[in-house]
Amino acid sequence: MGGFPWVADGLRAGPAWIEGEAFPILGAGPPPAHTAMSQIIVSVSELNHQYREGERTRTVLNGVTLELHRGERLALLGRSGSGKSTLLNLLGGIDTPHAGRIRIDGTDITRLDERARTLFRRRHIGFIYQFYNLIPTLTVAENVRLPLELNHEDGTAAAHKTLSMLTRVGLADRGDAYPDRLSGGEQQRVAIARALVHEPLLILADEPTGNLDAENGQQVLQLLDRLTRDRGGALVLVTHSRAVAQVADRMLSLVNGRLSEDGAELTW
Amino acid sequence: MVSPLIRLCSRRSLVRHPWQLGLTVLGVTLGVAMVVAVDLANRSAERAFALSREGISGRATHQILGGPRGLDENLYTRLRIELGLRQSAPVVEGYGRVNGETVQLVGVDPLAEAPFRGRLQAVTDLPVERLLTEAGTVLMSARTAGRLGIAVDGRFRFLAGGREYSLTLIGLIPEDRLRPAARDGVLITDIATAQETLHLTGRLSWVDLVLPPGAAGEVRLQHLRQWLPPGTEIVPAAARTHAMARMSTAFHINLSAMGLLALVVGMFLIFNSVSFSVVRRRQLLGTLRVLGLTRAELFRMILREAVLVGALGTVLGLLAGLALGQGLVHLVTRTINDLYYVLTVRQMLLGPAPFIKGALLGLGATVLSALGPAWEASRTAPRSGLQRSQLEQRSHAAAPRLAWLGIILISLALLGLWLSGEGLVPGFITLFLLIIGMTLVSPQLVALISRHGAARLRGRRHIQARLALRGVEASLSRTGVAVAALMLAVAATVGVGIMIASFRSTVALWLEATLRSDIYITVPGAAGAAARPELDPAILEQVRALPGVAAVASGRSLRVESREGLTEVFALDRPAAYPPRYPLKQGRPGTVWPRFQRGEGVLVSEALAFRRQLGPGDHVELRTDRGRRRFPIIGVYYDYGSGPGTVLMARRLYQRYWQDRGIDSLGVQLAQGAEREQVMDMIRKQVKSEQALVVRSAGDIRRDSLEIFDRTFTITRVLRLLAVGVAFIGILNALIALQLERARELGVLRALGLTPGQLRGLVLAQTGFMGALVGLLALPVGTVLALVLIHVINRRAFGWSMQTLLPAEIYLQSVVLAVAAALAAGLYPAWKMGRLRTAAALREE
Repeated sequence: MGGFPWVADGLRAGPAWIEGEAFPILGAGPPPAHTAMSQIIVSVSELNHQYREGERTRTVLNGVTLELHRGERLALLGRSGSGKSTLLNLLGGIDTPHAGRIRIDGTDITRLDERARTLFRRRHIGFIYQFYNLIPTLTVAENVRLPLELNHEDGTAAAHKTLSMLTRVGLADRGDAYPDRLSGGEQQRVAIARALVHEPLLILADEPTGNLDAENGQQVLQLLDRLTRDRGGALVLVTHSRAVAQVADRMLSLVNGRLSEDGAELTW
Repeated sequence: MVSPLIRLCSRRSLVRHPWQLGLTVLGVTLGVAMVVAVDLANRSAERAFALSREGISGRATHQILGGPRGLDENLYTRLRIELGLRQSAPVVEGYGRVNGETVQLVGVDPLAEAPFRGRLQAVTDLPVERLLTEAGTVLMSARTAGRLGIAVDGRFRFLAGGREYSLTLIGLIPEDRLRPAARDGVLITDIATAQETLHLTGRLSWVDLVLPPGAAGEVRLQHLRQWLPPGTEIVPAAARTHAMARMSTAFHINLSAMGLLALVVGMFLIFNSVSFSVVRRRQLLGTLRVLGLTRAELFRMILREAVLVGALGTVLGLLAGLALGQGLVHLVTRTINDLYYVLTVRQMLLGPAPFIKGALLGLGATVLSALGPAWEASRTAPRSGLQRSQLEQRSHAAAPRLAWLGIILISLALLGLWLSGEGLVPGFITLFLLIIGMTLVSPQLVALISRHGAARLRGRRHIQARLALRGVEASLSRTGVAVAALMLAVAATVGVGIMIASFRSTVALWLEATLRSDIYITVPGAAGAAARPELDPAILEQVRALPGVAAVASGRSLRVESREGLTEVFALDRPAAYPPRYPLKQGRPGTVWPRFQRGEGVLVSEALAFRRQLGPGDHVELRTDRGRRRFPIIGVYYDYGSGPGTVLMARRLYQRYWQDRGIDSLGVQLAQGAEREQVMDMIRKQVKSEQALVVRSAGDIRRDSLEIFDRTFTITRVLRLLAVGVAFIGILNALIALQLERARELGVLRALGLTPGQLRGLVLAQTGFMGALVGLLALPVGTVLALVLIHVINRRAFGWSMQTLLPAEIYLQSVVLAVAAALAAGLYPAWKMGRLRTAAALREE
């Protein structure tokens, strides 16, 4: 069955590095400021996408339209194979839709060529995956510093940002370790640090707790919640678990290739 | 500019897989080493030849040549007095042995040497006066003296033409700093000593001239040509050197082709390694794409890795090539001495060219081989990376296309063989097209054979075998390339093996048919076929008078130099009762040999006929002592004893045009009932001569000739083995990669109940199957290669035709080699998989 009953239970206290921070529990931070249209950061209109399966074509997204405000956290729910990850990949410029538009901070990424999309992703998007996808040949600190270097931010400033980020995820003392020496929860915290260190406009998280036990899952969610609020970037969280989705301000379900409002806006 | 962290990540990826890195580096190393070694050996031999010619010719622009016994020395005196040609110098040249080493003895006139400083450069300190006044005195370089163990004022024995002379070293010629090897193995003496020692009293080998450039020189040349007596000729010095060097060109091209073959095999290896490193890191590459690495950056990253590996392998290959070259230069010079001309310089002569060529080829081959995998990597979809199944799907889709491309290349090659005439280089290009074409077809054959094989293995008992076969087909991206690389190397082994066996059997049959006499007498030569010293004519009569001797044939072999180059002439005097019976390629024995014996015409060897496009009814022009003469050709005979080709004529015809009465070999026909050993013993003991004689039976000559033959192909065998070595590393690399990346799949099999032993068996069954597949594919491909080598390459290179022999043992050896190599390559992965920790393997993504 899955699910995270501990979220609904009101959340138990996390470890010291969470407790000591400004927002010890989910939902305790300021509500997202998305009242004005000028604050719309992601605008998706009439998105269509299909896959070929042998001779057949399967439509996974069918006229998806969506708006996301700066600082807003959106949970995307749906069954396996419903197209959640596809939508995430389209938002991240990893894939291109067959039809429709995606504007992020005023840039229509569907009109960009592959290289421009990659450079856009490098600068403005942060990804978090279920299986962490850390670079095994780089240390924890090097993994976190990588997006900064790719964005030509290096030297002392990059080192400072890396250390600061690692401190915030509670891994300042593990900077020199290689990922395979870390637990799953720790690896996911490194992945979060890497996704946020260059302060992207949009953070895309695909089942970030899917590979973790309950306790670690809780800690990772708390961290993600706190850091995205802190940084002000928009978050799209893909999950098939309603309990995990509680972290978001808004929940949408993807059914038959279409988005539908799912539950009331959360107002913690 | 790629981020330093990306470079770090890439470097660490290489270091974290030392096995793979090591094997790839080794593959490049061997490929480059072979090309460099062959090039060094070839260039050393060519340069040694040029240096030794330069050392002898000095700054001469032209040379006056005589007949088989050179020029009358009076010609030189007349040249200086009658024509006032001051810039001329006489030379007497020949070969002998000192302390078991072949050396070149050059007799010069120190007083006439001024314009020819090449020989006695900076000789002011040398005891030139002693050279002129004391008989038997010589000069040599300190390097030569040191190697021969001779001190200044030391006496030593010099063996030439079966006679022994005592010579004294009176001074050391200073080394030419720019060309230290130029005087290696050369003994300088005065004309009189050289004439006596080389048995050329009153004769000169040639006269060097320095003629002015331009019109003045041309006028002088015309005047000289009119003045010179018949039987002499004036030729440009460079053209003469070039004509001699040209004799061994085909041999050098053959060697270079073998070196290139190793590099082609090495390229497969690099391709396999780089593509594996891409597939292994598909997840990582996908993540890097998500993080914002562009396709171009990823492409450059993979290419940079390949260049790094290639550079390391190239540097090591250059060093290994240097070491290998030392051994190879010895083999090459020995072959040249056996077959073409005498080379006294034996050490490797280093120049930058082979290293530059090796470095460019090594790096070029690496980049070329890595382009495909790097492109594949740059196409990696972000996040998911290149899925293994996706890659295999692409490989399966590409295999038939590659096969078609292969078929097109094979067709082009066959068309090329037909259209490329008689050129050797086009022959090699088409051979390589054929090889590449056949290699491209092999992945599709691997897929088809494994698929059908697996389909036939039904039932529980065959589950392991079926899994093994399915594994080969399912991992075609890996197995196809590995099988192709090993197939190429084994096919080359089969092809070259068949070619050598066919050649050897042809030569053995030819020797059997050609050697008609029972016993042969010669004097010890300085080297092989290149220089055969004269026999004392008195020996002929003494041998004829011995009991048990029915008849004695005599032979005289010489090299006739002219503007057209070098032609070997063999004048044969056989008793009427024992006419020659050389196997004929063109002409009927019943008419050819009687005409030959009557001196109505000459026979040309197959090689000469091929090279100059001659046949019966044509004429061959030779420079005789009576001037240039055209001889009618009455037949073409098979001859594998001479590289450049020979003109065979009856002694009576020879004596009509040459004043030379010398002989250099005798063939003894035994009387009925005479004991061969007894007669040989009598010749050794009873024939009185100041010359040491070499008395051998026909069987001895056959054995010695085949020994020289085998020696000639030693280098080919060495190169062939190295090519197999490179391929072995290729398949080892591919198999290790294949098995290690299947760890999870094998973990599942362990979890399902396969024992470690069964897992090992599965891995070995798979590698054994691949080996058998290689053997199966290599046999037809190798046979085709052999046919092309025998009927196209060797014919174009040397003009020799051979019978095709397909020895079963070569096929058997090759299959055993392929299976053994594959099984040996599977040992480590099998051991590793046998120790697989199931839980860990299952946890791996």
